[in-house]
Amino acid sequence: MELNLSFIPLSESATVRFSMETPLVQIRALTKVYRRGANDVVALRRVDLDISRGEFLALMGPSGSGKSTLLHIIAGIDRPTEGQCLVGGIDVSRLSERALTLWRHQNVGFVFQSFNLIPVLTAYENVELPLLVTSLSRRERKEHVQAALELVGLSDRQHHLPGQLSGGQEQRVAIARAIVPDPNLIVADEPTGNLDSQAAASVLQLLQVLNSKAGKTVVLVTHDPKAAAYAHRTAHLEKGELLETGTAGS
Amino acid sequence: MTIPGFIIRNAFRNRRRLVLATGGVAVSLLLLTVLQVMLAGLTDPSATDEAARRIVVRHRVSLANMLFASYEKKIQALPGVACCTKLLWFGGIYQDEKNFFPQFACEAANLFNVLSEAKIDPQQRARFIQERAACVVGIKTMQRFGWKLGDKITLMGAMWPCDLELSIRGVFSGTADDTNLFFHHDYFDELLGDKGFTGLFWIKADAAAAVPALIERIDAEFRNSEAETKTETEHAFQLGFVSMLGNLKMLIGSISTVIVFSLILVTAGTMSMALRERVREIAVLKAIGFDSRLIFGLILAESFGLALAGGLVGCGASFALLRTVDFYQLSHGLFVNFEITPHILVVGLSVAALLGMASCLIPAYTGLKRSVVDGLKMPD
Repeated sequence: MELNLSFIPLSESATVRFSMETPLVQIRALTKVYRRGANDVVALRRVDLDISRGEFLALMGPSGSGKSTLLHIIAGIDRPTEGQCLVGGIDVSRLSERALTLWRHQNVGFVFQSFNLIPVLTAYENVELPLLVTSLSRRERKEHVQAALELVGLSDRQHHLPGQLSGGQEQRVAIARAIVPDPNLIVADEPTGNLDSQAAASVLQLLQVLNSKAGKTVVLVTHDPKAAAYAHRTAHLEKGELLETGTAGS
Repeated sequence: MTIPGFIIRNAFRNRRRLVLATGGVAVSLLLLTVLQVMLAGLTDPSATDEAARRIVVRHRVSLANMLFASYEKKIQALPGVACCTKLLWFGGIYQDEKNFFPQFACEAANLFNVLSEAKIDPQQRARFIQERAACVVGIKTMQRFGWKLGDKITLMGAMWPCDLELSIRGVFSGTADDTNLFFHHDYFDELLGDKGFTGLFWIKADAAAAVPALIERIDAEFRNSEAETKTETEHAFQLGFVSMLGNLKMLIGSISTVIVFSLILVTAGTMSMALRERVREIAVLKAIGFDSRLIFGLILAESFGLALAGGLVGCGASFALLRTVDFYQLSHGLFVNFEITPHILVVGLSVAALLGMASCLIPAYTGLKRSVVDGLKMPD
């Protein structure tokens, strides 16, 4: 795949390897408890996990294992009940709602299972959306959006509405939206869950390229071993506990 | 794309709902402004400088009780009185009962001294004064019946046992009520056999400042007489006349409140539906960096825009309606001043805009307090 990553600061080498020295994400004794009526449901139980800069990590586990909850806490859209989640040295759980929103905008790109594009906006406008809250000029926004759409191979579909795109194309637009503000971390929650195998492979390759060529740290939630195989490492969760971590395919 | 562009896209995402909601607001605003115009026309007679100098003297008991015509000389002699005319409600029928318009017997020589803002050709005025069976008619009534100068008309007595055969000798305009017809009190007295009474005295004071003292003086003059008087400003007299129709202010106020309440329901319902459809989108916006205040601003602007658009359509429609439809004819002369003023339009649009904003508060609050995670879990 030919890439134009001109708007993303690439490392000098063509391929970026993740650094084991300073983890981007440091999770310590993380617990999340949901209150359901009179009952407490433990979604995560004293989880410890490090994710290095430039790493591609797959979080695996059966439904209800807590993998999405962990992803949400890492991405700053949920808060732990106990424990610590440092991302880039910042304890995101201690940020105010406003600061957290700003932090997410600058640091996290989201890719969802059901794409979550705005149906009344074109592909171009969907990708432009995160840039509307920046001080970039219209011309600068255009440059960024066109580069992101080119990166995901959808320059020729920029004026199409989501309803006029295939599932795979929609997810690629969502990836373009995730990377357009140039975040360090991309979180993908079952991004291939609604796609056929060919489109899924294309999306996973794209995430892999963003990781390897642009140095983005990618955290992927999946229960598909084929999808997890694209990652450097997998972390298995069950009943809220981290069972093991290992290299993909191990 | 810009933030305003995004708001417009959101507003237009369901066109049928947009049209229905805007239409709902527009109809409510149309009704509201028409009612306000009606209320203003009935309860707020125009208060010109000339009108502020006029007072009305009537029988203390009621309008149905007559006053002695001889009071006029005593009134004329009081300090502060510039001029005075007797005035008597004739209430006759022109061809058919539905052709209602106000008819008064007056003293022709003094009428236009009291009603000094009236515009009338001096020659027509002179002919009216000279001719005992002459009358002058307001321009609106002339137009309503297609009368011309010189026409002869017959008013059948409904309250009085006489019919009037009148010649139209003058047309006036520029008064608060250009529907009136005035004829000679002498002619009426002659037909009735000069009973020596009249209905009212219509007085013009030397100055507006002299009015309160003059009111006191007139009532004091006739206290303990056979026909005690009640003197009041022309404005107060007109309002008293309107109050005979019942508590119109309360009635129209109640209807207006219902309309405003419906308006809240229309816009709140629309915004609730619109936001319920967008729970996940709001969660996504929050996730990608739109803070709650900005999202609230987007919702507020959309609701405001929707209500204001409906308000503009409604106020525009009422403006066009009141400009094109002759409510004087339609109401058989009940509504004389039926004019939409800039003040009423501004009030109408402000009501729409404010309610548009107010009605989105609860749906917006409900939508925004939901966490990103909960929002993302919502089904499409």
